[in-house]
Amino acid sequence: MKFLFDLDGTVTSMETLPLIAEHFNVQDEIMELTRQTVQGNVPFVESFIKRVGILGQLPVNEVNDLLSSVPLYPRLQEFISANKEQCVIVTGNLSCWCESLLKRIGCEYYCSEGQVENNQVVKINTILRKEQVVDTLKAAGETVVFVGDGNNDLEAMRHADIAIAAGMTHSPAKSLFAITDYLFFDETALCRQLNLLL
Amino acid sequence: MPTIKSVVISCAGIGSRLGLGLTKALVKIQGRSLISWQLELFKDVEDVRIVIGFQANEIIEEVLKYRKDVTFIFNHRYFETKTGASFYLGARHAHDYVLEWDGDLLVHPDDAKKILNTEGEFICYSEKSSDDSVYVKVNEVGDVLEFSRECGDYEWTGPACFHKSHLQYSSMNVFNMLEPHLPMKGLKIRAYDIDTYNDYQRVSEIIKDWNYEG
Repeated sequence: MKFLFDLDGTVTSMETLPLIAEHFNVQDEIMELTRQTVQGNVPFVESFIKRVGILGQLPVNEVNDLLSSVPLYPRLQEFISANKEQCVIVTGNLSCWCESLLKRIGCEYYCSEGQVENNQVVKINTILRKEQVVDTLKAAGETVVFVGDGNNDLEAMRHADIAIAAGMTHSPAKSLFAITDYLFFDETALCRQLNLLL
Repeated sequence: MPTIKSVVISCAGIGSRLGLGLTKALVKIQGRSLISWQLELFKDVEDVRIVIGFQANEIIEEVLKYRKDVTFIFNHRYFETKTGASFYLGARHAHDYVLEWDGDLLVHPDDAKKILNTEGEFICYSEKSSDDSVYVKVNEVGDVLEFSRECGDYEWTGPACFHKSHLQYSSMNVFNMLEPHLPMKGLKIRAYDIDTYNDYQRVSEIIKDWNYEG
């Protein structure tokens, strides 16, 4: 059994994007892009490329430092720590931005990858397709549980053996309701279910 | 302390026989939704699992007014399946003992307490009150021997408590899942299910005398 988790708003108890935007004072551009993406006017991959276009100019080490202290859901963090070998974080974020945070969480992780030069992201090398991680683990004989909250988790959740939508930080994307097995709005209830699945 | 139980409330159906255009969980009894009456009964139960399908968004919204720490479970095939499928989905990853509770069932609060404190597997039944029902035949100590569409000693209303090892997928009714495990311990309770508009009117009157808190 493998437990795969989206990062932003699923394991972290706040969204990282507004945090970065506020810290570096690029809220207007990011908020407009986020609004368009949430409304479905801009597809996720296009939105991600545009996001990196805006945030890539920011000093990578400062973004990484900022994200390293983002609060996590404590019980979820406990579950991951207690079952490190079975847990995997699957995030579309660039590894150079969230590596410290991911090391703090302490389990295996998959991210998108960017090329860093002079402390800036100059190029996106890969954009993670979360469903491919699910498929690879399933092909290796694992039963896969995927916990996510956004439209970009939809395919991974559809491919997973057990799909869990989490609405703890914000309401989960309504698109997930058509495919998810479970839906939680409370961390304790979510962790109870994860323990029952072990 | 009784063994930890999960409670599975099946609310996925379309409530077509009731004719109020609402899934039954949202039907108002004495000014409160049916699901809110049930949540009141289970306020001390940790693992409350609500199976949803038809009008899922509306049920979620209603439940979240009362508590957030429930487990919502989707039965995406609610149109083609019956309560057995919803119960299976609700129970498959639950605690070992699972209490099956139909979303259209109202149980007297004193009997609900008795049910939550009863150990092991059992089947609940009531005095006959509906026309279109499934009945149970019981022996002298009240154990359930048989389900029947034609006749019986009492009406099968549920709930029933299962050990998860006895859980097997069925697209049919919950009583079909129980049949292979008969005879089972029986528990007589005061319970009414709301299938038709007549049931709805009758239950609305009966519940006035019940001492619900909240």
